[in-house]
Amino acid sequence: MPRFSDKFRYWALVLPALAIMIVFYIWPLLGIWVISLNEPVVGLGNYAKMADSNAVKTSFVITFRVAFVTTIGCLILGYIVAYAISNFAGRVKPLMIALVLLPFWVSVLIRSFSWIVLLGRSGIVNDALRGAGIIDSPLRLMHNEFGVVLAMIHVMLPFAVLPMMANMRGISSSYVDAARGLGASEWTAFRKVYFPQTMPGVMSGALLVFVLSLGFYVTPALLGGGRVLMISEYITYQIQEFLNWGLGSALSVTLLVATALVIAVAARFVNLRSALLERG
Amino acid sequence: MTDTTDHEAKLDLVEIAAYRYREGRLTRRGFISAMAALGVLPALGSKALAGANELVVVNWGGRPTEVLQEVLGDTYTAATGVKVIVDGSGPSGGKIRAMVESGAVVWDLCDSGMGTAIILEQQGITQPIDYNIVDRNKVIEGTAYSNGVGNYVYSYVLATNSKMLGGNVPKTWADVWNTKDFPGMRTFRKSVRGMLESAVMAQGVPTKDVYEVLGTQDGINGAIDMFRKLRENIIVWGSGSDSQNLFLQEEVAMGNIWHTRAFLLKDQIEGGTFDISFDGGVIAPGVWVVPKNNPAGTEEVMKFIAHGQDPALQVKWLELIGSGPINPAAAALVPPELAAWNPSSPENLATQILYNDEWYAKNQQAAEELYIDALIN
Amino acid sequence: MAQSTFRIFFSTGAWLVLAFLLLPILVVIPVSLTDTSYIGLPKEGLSLQHYAAYFQSPGWMAATWTSIWIGLVVAALATAFGTAFAIGCWFLSDRASTVARWILITPILVPPVVQSLGFYRFWVTLGLIDTNFGVILAHTLLALPYVSISVFAALANLDRRIPQAARSLGASVWQTVRAVVVPAAIPGMITGAIFAFIVSFDEIVGVLFITVRNVTTLPKKIWEGIQEDIDPTIASVATMLVVLTLIVTAIRILRK
Repeated sequence: MPRFSDKFRYWALVLPALAIMIVFYIWPLLGIWVISLNEPVVGLGNYAKMADSNAVKTSFVITFRVAFVTTIGCLILGYIVAYAISNFAGRVKPLMIALVLLPFWVSVLIRSFSWIVLLGRSGIVNDALRGAGIIDSPLRLMHNEFGVVLAMIHVMLPFAVLPMMANMRGISSSYVDAARGLGASEWTAFRKVYFPQTMPGVMSGALLVFVLSLGFYVTPALLGGGRVLMISEYITYQIQEFLNWGLGSALSVTLLVATALVIAVAARFVNLRSALLERG
Repeated sequence: MTDTTDHEAKLDLVEIAAYRYREGRLTRRGFISAMAALGVLPALGSKALAGANELVVVNWGGRPTEVLQEVLGDTYTAATGVKVIVDGSGPSGGKIRAMVESGAVVWDLCDSGMGTAIILEQQGITQPIDYNIVDRNKVIEGTAYSNGVGNYVYSYVLATNSKMLGGNVPKTWADVWNTKDFPGMRTFRKSVRGMLESAVMAQGVPTKDVYEVLGTQDGINGAIDMFRKLRENIIVWGSGSDSQNLFLQEEVAMGNIWHTRAFLLKDQIEGGTFDISFDGGVIAPGVWVVPKNNPAGTEEVMKFIAHGQDPALQVKWLELIGSGPINPAAAALVPPELAAWNPSSPENLATQILYNDEWYAKNQQAAEELYIDALIN
Repeated sequence: MAQSTFRIFFSTGAWLVLAFLLLPILVVIPVSLTDTSYIGLPKEGLSLQHYAAYFQSPGWMAATWTSIWIGLVVAALATAFGTAFAIGCWFLSDRASTVARWILITPILVPPVVQSLGFYRFWVTLGLIDTNFGVILAHTLLALPYVSISVFAALANLDRRIPQAARSLGASVWQTVRAVVVPAAIPGMITGAIFAFIVSFDEIVGVLFITVRNVTTLPKKIWEGIQEDIDPTIASVATMLVVLTLIVTAIRILRK
């Protein structure tokens, strides 16, 4: 049988999924670009309006700031967990991994609901602190950036831990042992020898968390109280409140381009193939 | 011009009625008559076609078909024998226009807003109201247009929970902006509608001059700046139920919310500490519009509108879900304990300002941008 | 060996972070058992009233079933399409197939609100708004990346020479796929199907855009509950989902 015909058959397996993805996903996504240039009038009006708007600028700043702080938080906390699991866990390793994965399976909505219950003005944390006599009047833990970032770190943490763990699995202990043998302290050996080897994992984790945070909607919308207006919420606001599809689409295109740029920049530091395409 | 009708406010009324019904405070019959009075005679599906001797009324709520049937029986049908089908698919200006322009008009009467009514009239989409049948004296002054007439009212009001304020309750919008004497969080809408007005009044502008001040860019900027100053104390509400939750969860101590939501809160917040003031409120009507070439004919629709102006029916509706009677005569029939909660009582009308749709048509989009910027920047 | 501060720092730190991951989720459990009608800890005693409210509510029940059956359909569709895709790509393993794989994972990277906007506009023209099929199609697209990634990962362990041998012994492409490749892909298919079900079962933003009244999934019902009448019924639903997750996780740990 000629090779050509085999190849044809393999493509027959590939095409159904690829075709529906292109027709029903990629095509509508391109449609957003068209809307942004066509509604309400043809031209770059929506983009001009966007560039003029202080609110849009602020919203982008908030989006990037929240995504950045979330990423840093996830990396620090996630590194500690990944390191402990990879090096000290022993028999409890499966339990620790399960605890990392557990929040993955509980929907973001439910976790946001939990945070609302915890952080509200008459929420559990405030009640407990007041009951213990630590505070007199309730603290503002929600409806601000603090609450949003806290809940977002909770959501994103597994995305940081997993790539770092995968990376640490491949690190041989012999370098650290050698450094220790030469008299380096545990801290020094970690800092000078181990940590640099984990950078690929850290970067993969950072990329995933940052990209996912940029487009995050549910948690900021529920916990932000309208004051932490990230771009995704801004888009729905334009569309639901004003039926302003043109501006909403222009914002979407901008967010899409921003996400693509982040990934493009990250490509210099991260092996995208292993970070995205081949992650287990 | 853009469509400035506050569709959410309409949806909210439906929600409140449904809430009351679930809560058991509305009997089935009461619920139905409330829905009928609201003009939310529920849906038979968007493709409901009116046959002979039928009337299709369209508004914003989706309630089961059997409720709709009951509504008809209870009100108009009982009186006239004319069948009424209510479709809850939301008669936005765009939809009405498309229907009229396509020549396939299936709607007889639509629950719209002032802004949309004005636009549709200009575009020649709607019919004039026949004020020989509909009584222009049975609606609040300023809500009888040539091609549209008010059907109920709702207000943006100052709501307070004295329990969270230690009994020290703000009386005016200026008090709301005084965080020193009245500490605590405030809630305002995630939109300038009904909000900028209070910021202007907080600057000491008399009620009647509010839209004059907002007529200049300086006036708008001044109002926006008021929100910028207050923003650390603001949590915004997106939907009516949102505003209700913020008070219920004690996230806020005061705010500018719909009086219809406040009507529910007064019973929900223990100890009667929740109160509202119509002083400095912004009152807005829902408006009936009739598409051109409506299937049931002009006369039948006008009779139906006139039927809905009955003060007794309107009071019933206030009692059940707090919607304000459009007919000022209804005020006399309102039970005394509810008089303070009636947005269209003479006392309350005197202290409020009528929502100015023309202003919103002209300025809303730009103002919204500034408003968000002030809140988040 | 004595515990060094280094070790103590990382071990203690790790457990604290894990507690941070777990505890907030568990908060829904006591709240769901509250005897009050509002969100809070139980006051005078425990009560199952909010579970009763859930099971007696036609709305919650309907939403739950909708989510379950849509999730199952999505899992089946995404697994079928995604497995065929991954197997085809695995055989091809050329530039073009890598491009195809990148295209298939775009839904992971595109912000949910942006893709939902695209869905909404296209679904309007197709008449799919507020239909079960519209939701199934959208969720299948969102689930495909997970299936294709996990099946491809499973195939990484398959020796390329085995299908080659099968082919040289006269087996057709289809016979080879059925007899050699699919068995190797099965672990990935199972993982992928579970992922696909979860993706659909938890998806909220798309549903908010492309459904109105006819289709209500569980996440949409929870969303409306949080936005509208916050009541402990949501906590009871959440508790059941959390406990289910805990049980499944515990079983998996114990089996290891």
